[in-house]
Amino acid sequence: MDRISIIDGIRTPFCKMGTVFNDLSAQELGRIVTQELIERTGIDPKIIDEMIFGCVAQPPDAANISRVIALLSGLPKTIPAFTVHRNCASGIESVVTAALKIQGGEADCILAGGTESMSNIPFFLTKQLQEIIWEFIKAKTLPEKFKALSPLKLKYLSPRVGLQMGLTDPVCGLNMGQTAEVLAKEFGIPREEQDEFALISHQRAMKARSTLREEIVPVIPGPDYKNVVQDDNGPRENQTMEALAKLRPFFDRETGTVTAGNSSQVTDGAVALIVMRESKARELRLQPLGYLKAFAFAGVEPHRMGIGPAHAIPKVLKKAGMKLSDMQAIEINEAFAVQVLACLRALGSAQFAKEFGYEGFTGEIDRSILNVNGGAVALGHPVGATGSRLILTILKHMKRNNLNLGLVSLCVGGGQGAAVILER
Amino acid sequence: MSLYFRIENNIGTIEFDLPDSKVNLLTADVLKKLDALLDDLKSNTTSLKALLIVSKKKDVFIAGADIKEIAGITQKQEGEAKSKAGQNIFNKLEDLKIPTVAVIDGVALGGGCELALACWYRIATFNEKVGIGLPEVKLGIVPGFGGTYRLPRVIGLSEGLKMIVSGETISGRQALKVGLVDRLFPQKGLDEYVGEFVEDIKDKKRPARPSPLKKKKGLPAFLDTSLLGQAIVFREATKNVLKKTKGFYPAPLKAIEAVQKTIYLNRERALDMEAKTFAELAVTDISKNLVHVFYLSEKFKKFVPAGAEQIAPKEIRKCAVVGAGIMGGGIAQLLSSKDIATRMKDINYDAIAKGLKAAYKIYESAIKTRRLKKYEANLKMDKITGTIDYSGFQNAEMVIEAVVENMEVKKKVFKEITNVVPEDAILCTNTSALSVTEMAQVVKNPSRMIGLHFFNPVHRMPLVEIIKTDLTSPQTIVTTLQFAKRIGKTPILVKDCCGFLVNRILLAYINEAGYLLQEGGKMEDIDRTMKQFGMPMGPFELTDEVGIDVGYKVLQILYSGLGQRFQPAVIFKQIYEKGYLGKKAGKGFYFYKDGKIGNSNPDIQQIGKPLSSNKLSAGADEKENVQRMVYIMINEAARCLEERVIEDAATVDVGMIMGTGFPPFRGGLLRYADRVGMEAIVGELKRLEDRLQSERFRPCSYLLELQKNKKSFYH
Repeated sequence: MDRISIIDGIRTPFCKMGTVFNDLSAQELGRIVTQELIERTGIDPKIIDEMIFGCVAQPPDAANISRVIALLSGLPKTIPAFTVHRNCASGIESVVTAALKIQGGEADCILAGGTESMSNIPFFLTKQLQEIIWEFIKAKTLPEKFKALSPLKLKYLSPRVGLQMGLTDPVCGLNMGQTAEVLAKEFGIPREEQDEFALISHQRAMKARSTLREEIVPVIPGPDYKNVVQDDNGPRENQTMEALAKLRPFFDRETGTVTAGNSSQVTDGAVALIVMRESKARELRLQPLGYLKAFAFAGVEPHRMGIGPAHAIPKVLKKAGMKLSDMQAIEINEAFAVQVLACLRALGSAQFAKEFGYEGFTGEIDRSILNVNGGAVALGHPVGATGSRLILTILKHMKRNNLNLGLVSLCVGGGQGAAVILER
Repeated sequence: MSLYFRIENNIGTIEFDLPDSKVNLLTADVLKKLDALLDDLKSNTTSLKALLIVSKKKDVFIAGADIKEIAGITQKQEGEAKSKAGQNIFNKLEDLKIPTVAVIDGVALGGGCELALACWYRIATFNEKVGIGLPEVKLGIVPGFGGTYRLPRVIGLSEGLKMIVSGETISGRQALKVGLVDRLFPQKGLDEYVGEFVEDIKDKKRPARPSPLKKKKGLPAFLDTSLLGQAIVFREATKNVLKKTKGFYPAPLKAIEAVQKTIYLNRERALDMEAKTFAELAVTDISKNLVHVFYLSEKFKKFVPAGAEQIAPKEIRKCAVVGAGIMGGGIAQLLSSKDIATRMKDINYDAIAKGLKAAYKIYESAIKTRRLKKYEANLKMDKITGTIDYSGFQNAEMVIEAVVENMEVKKKVFKEITNVVPEDAILCTNTSALSVTEMAQVVKNPSRMIGLHFFNPVHRMPLVEIIKTDLTSPQTIVTTLQFAKRIGKTPILVKDCCGFLVNRILLAYINEAGYLLQEGGKMEDIDRTMKQFGMPMGPFELTDEVGIDVGYKVLQILYSGLGQRFQPAVIFKQIYEKGYLGKKAGKGFYFYKDGKIGNSNPDIQQIGKPLSSNKLSAGADEKENVQRMVYIMINEAARCLEERVIEDAATVDVGMIMGTGFPPFRGGLLRYADRVGMEAIVGELKRLEDRLQSERFRPCSYLLELQKNKKSFYH
């Protein structure tokens, strides 16, 4: 059977919210990677059957952002597009959906990816203020207008921050950081271990700077076109344990261990990948970066969402009939250092495997093959884009080091885990 | 037959359909037929409920009078009679006792617009080709069939005057907004809609005769109807015209005068005045020259080289530009504005950033002046992507090289390009003077190599020179010509030679200005006299604009390529070496602040002093200065014809008008030469050669030949 090949990919640098990409919308970021990927691969845009992007905070001025990106990129208008949303795994979902479409015979070539501008998530009005404004607009006479405004109270004016709402679980009521604290306490993971993990992430990301440029298109943000942004701006060169230790716990001021320093950074960025039927790639004489071997999603309790990978990983291994030790490279998204550490502990525990029936598909993970070029603690986590970024980063890494098998996994807000296996 | 008349359901229809033509024109013959038809109708209207005027041509209502007939007017009386004849016919139309409706589904220009204005109602379609206007001033005349009388009365003084004075056409939507048309209808089912419209008139749902002026309120009403408001409108219009035309073009001023003097007159007297003004202008040289230029530009819009009529141009959808400097950035912007995907390459991303910025600046000003909405500008801007390797070149259908003017660098670039682009991609160089033939040597399949010379600033200058080598294939030429037209430029086809056409002629002029300067001439005076001649800026202002370094470099190339007559005036070298580089450096012949010209640079005259020799400039006057600068261009243009660099005088004139702003009212360089006469030009050149002891004035044999045979460039 035809495999699902990933021909090539490209991403923007990942840049912290409110910094150099502040003026670039999610669709603009998506446009940049889409155009550049087509230019670099030289594929004829006409062979693209569909465009699928993942995006979490889908901008109100770009409904169905995939289609907007396709049109902004100058792709033929005949290419349909739709947008997918699986929270932090949206960038995985787009690739998986592409794979399913290809396997289902619906397409041969799909441009998939993810984009997120966390700098541009809007603030919302309170429902009360919204209603008052409606009444005001409907009112015809001046007295009516006055009357419409009369229920106004000062507290209605305070905005609701979209970013904050998005990062809060509506079912368990905890925000993402608080779910990380749940895991920290459950697994008893000390602050220092989390900080150490964060430090390594920064060190590896700094060291990988020139390597990562292979997957990055430099961006020159308009409208002033002054700066050339070539690198992720999250990694800190002089990160130290001391500096990390100074930070106060952010989500649980009193008893917490999760700080801004050992959590992923809030970031803007976009990634594009070309997903293609293997035989089509052969026909076009394209040399794929690698192949999507298997994927799996798992559900967990929303207040323990960070544990998702510990369930998705054995699930995908089982599907593929492989062992964790077969994997030569692993990327587990660093939403929070503690959440990755919790997953490692769970996967290393025989009791955990037994409890969930994962025997044979879990095990210890060799840290030296985990997140070797740094993770989201340093590079940042533009939620809709990260999934695609992990696939791109691991495939480039596998290519450089001539590795055959790689595993990518993420925890997903709302209580899910996602995992994919890639091969070369 | 050019006019058809039919009656259906008591509604009469006059249909215009000029045989063997894509457009309808109001030729003398058509007008005569219309006259007879209207006479018939006048005595016969009792049975008719309404009269429609329609066109059978696609996208055209009536394109205007026959310009050939206007060009043929040599006597004022003749012009006045022609104008009166048309006016009388349109009066008959206006005076019919039944509602008349002009159905405009395309362009209605000049006489076509005036005919529509004589109808009671005008309706147009949503067809994007609908364009209504009175472009007469662009031909150096004023509307002569009642336009100056009727338009201000239909749409109000300020809007009407604006249209007459600018000569611009307006779209259907704009026409609806200003009240020039009463309704817009979809093209599909137009007949039914028009039928309903006529029913509405019959049922008195519309006023029997629309009031002459749409009701306006506030400031527009004040400007249109009060004496003070009108005075302001006329004064502002005059001021704007003078600013724009510097007084070289009498027609817009005469148009203002015609409207102003007739605004309170009755129809008969107003039209009388219009006919007189029209006739007065129609016989002027300026009008004849502008008509000549109009014909030239029409001709070059359609230009196809002889023998290539059967070759279909290839469509270019993806372009690559090498070099993100002033020219490269400008070209990328132009291409993106025409929705062509453009890959821009330079050696580093900082250079790309500069190119993007330059492009965006142009879009920014388009947003400011509301020519583009912000989202439209962004969408176009998004067509440009940058790269520092040749990625994205593998599917480029055309590459335009715009790197530094250095043969070795250009050859190196083309060597690289030729390996990364498809085998049939067209390779263009934007060089302004270097040999395209030499560059073609390093290219695989040199038949696809061609020069595509843009002028700075790219988005504003309407000309491109297309330079063919002996190896350039007809397919390459045809595709590049079509491409130039597609991106909104007027192309001229030039044979590869040193300096091509425009720079070769222009640099002879600039160099001569340099000689005048170093002979002790005053810089400001030299610039002023050339502006008085009609050039948009003086030679030194122009040099500042282009960059003294660039100008000097090109002059050097011409000197080494064409010989002694292009020996650069020493003063340029000295100014260049002092670091006065022109506008981009803030100082050149003049000082610049924020891109605006300021005082003249006192150092220039100082540099010139030791060079001046009183012997040479003694006896020089402004007239002689102008002759030196202009005749030396004529001599060089004649040489280009002699060397068959271009095929005809028209190419020179189009090139100089569109490439350098040579004044259109003079009809072009060689048309001007024809007016002066070969005898006078050759005589003066010989005298200058003798007086200044320089071979650069020696008349070339082409010129001598013309003189000997008592011929001119055009005849």
